[in-house]
Amino acid sequence: MTWEPQIFKTLHQIPREEHVFPGTPLCAGCGGLESLRLAAKVLGSRVVYVDAAGCMTNLAAFPFTPLDASWLYTTMGSAPAGAQGVRDALDVLIAKGRVPKEEDVQVVVLGGDGSTYDMALSSTSGAITRQLDFYYFCYDNEAYGNTGVQLSPATPYGARTTTSPCAVQHPAGTTQEKKDIFEIWRAHRPPYMATVSPRFPLDLEEKFARAAAYKGPKLFLAFAACPTGWLFDPAQTPDVARLAVECGLWPLKEAVNGVVVHTYWPKLTPVEEYLKLQGRFRHLFEPVVQTEAIAHIQERVHGYWARVKREEGNS
Amino acid sequence: MLSIRFHGRGGQGAKTASRIVGTAAFLEGYHAQDSPVYGAERRGAPVAAFTRIDHSPIHERGVIARPDLVVIADASLIRDPAARVADGVDERTVVFVNSSLSPDQVSVQAALPGRLTALDLTGIALREFGKRGAISALLGAVAGRLSGLHRDSIRDAVARELADLGLSSAVIERNQAVALDCFDQVPVVSVEPGGPRPAPPVQLHRPTYDAPTKGTASITVGPNSGLRSMSGWRTFRPVLRPDLCNGCWLCFANCPEGAITIKPDGKPAVYYPHCKGCLDCVEVCPTDAMTVEREPQGVQP
Repeated sequence: MTWEPQIFKTLHQIPREEHVFPGTPLCAGCGGLESLRLAAKVLGSRVVYVDAAGCMTNLAAFPFTPLDASWLYTTMGSAPAGAQGVRDALDVLIAKGRVPKEEDVQVVVLGGDGSTYDMALSSTSGAITRQLDFYYFCYDNEAYGNTGVQLSPATPYGARTTTSPCAVQHPAGTTQEKKDIFEIWRAHRPPYMATVSPRFPLDLEEKFARAAAYKGPKLFLAFAACPTGWLFDPAQTPDVARLAVECGLWPLKEAVNGVVVHTYWPKLTPVEEYLKLQGRFRHLFEPVVQTEAIAHIQERVHGYWARVKREEGNS
Repeated sequence: MLSIRFHGRGGQGAKTASRIVGTAAFLEGYHAQDSPVYGAERRGAPVAAFTRIDHSPIHERGVIARPDLVVIADASLIRDPAARVADGVDERTVVFVNSSLSPDQVSVQAALPGRLTALDLTGIALREFGKRGAISALLGAVAGRLSGLHRDSIRDAVARELADLGLSSAVIERNQAVALDCFDQVPVVSVEPGGPRPAPPVQLHRPTYDAPTKGTASITVGPNSGLRSMSGWRTFRPVLRPDLCNGCWLCFANCPEGAITIKPDGKPAVYYPHCKGCLDCVEVCPTDAMTVEREPQGVQP
């Protein structure tokens, strides 16, 4: 069974209307901002963004906001709890007739990988268990970026961060594997989950449009190519985002009621193509090529897709 | 003590340049101190970095309010009030500007009180490296020359600092060569290291408030971030050649800022006040209709 888009089939269907306006202080070439901008085109303006401290906190820096939606700022660990409060308050006010039903808004948690994979995991787990009706938008730049690019549980093997440098003891830099937050979420059986990439805008828009049909927790993991943290020229954000998918490192998939379907079958380009673009992997190639480390990354990609092929019976 | 203040845009290399000068001074046996300062905004936003050099231990800390040498990595910073390049600059301060204009032209346009010198580092980098990128080694070399540091220590310091950034030895050697060219080329204006000078008298400013339409005193304001101009963040700009555009909308879909709009005829248009110059649109354009141009070099708006 091949996944086919139902709604968004050509780029000309992408709404021209903006809901994340220009003038934000985020870095030039931010892949996370690009994902959010595209997502908001489907989410619209009847939204409360509950922001976990992170890069996106800079979006609504007083007195400016790029959003035509509402905004609530929380600590890194408590955005889903904040979302629960907003949702409950709205439900109560609507039940009491103090807020008209048509003035209801969607609750969207904005979190980086630091909060999503790490600090907010317990409050997220609680919110999913309570079947909170909310979107969770994670911009995953694979490090604690806003504080200066420190290791997070989303940092992949072989990447260099300021707290996992290329060192004599650890020549590959990061030695951990990226935490599989998608499967942690899936174990909770939320109704809708998806991974998206800004370089695949139709796939992204389609998934947000589909998710609207489901009540309950909805996860979006957005690939946030990060020129500042990953050390590449901002102009290469589209290339990095495309190669992450084509090399098989960032699978595009969705899971409806826990059933996973991959929405794009990558060419499985050798991972070197992706790694070589970024300064955070440069130590794998210079001064000596760390063949074992690169092979390790490649093996894990092949292992993943071999399993997907077995389970989804596709090629 | 010699106090050097660097101004640049995030990603240009002002911080690394300040480290190169500090390291070079350290290698020559001086006491040296360097530190950067930037806010929550990064790539493209104004950043500053400070280097102090002295024969004896340096006890002063923090920002440099009265610099002996100011190094400006991007001429557009001069008119950017957020960058505050003119703070504490007086007639004896030496000011270096990365500009294609001659020192005299810069001097006329910039209207800074200091003694100006200039060299087109971005032009040299484009010519020598063939691509856009950080000019930290070049800035460091120029600052080192103006500070009276030696060629050899600059060469060593460039190698050390760029190696710390994980650059390959080939790239480092190329940077060393080009940096030393800049070291030789920059018109020298002698810097006179001053002792500690009294801080300028504190002036109390009457606060001014923006009109409420700009968002102050209201938490129910609509999207108003478009009031901010992002023009100053660019060192290069995308320029559309409409004759080559096939109207695919990839640039519109891939602009992180939403600075590209679609005109009624279905073709895109870049709205420059909102463009940060990331050039993602150039990268995704399938027909090469989006081209790159260097931002104009005049320091007047």
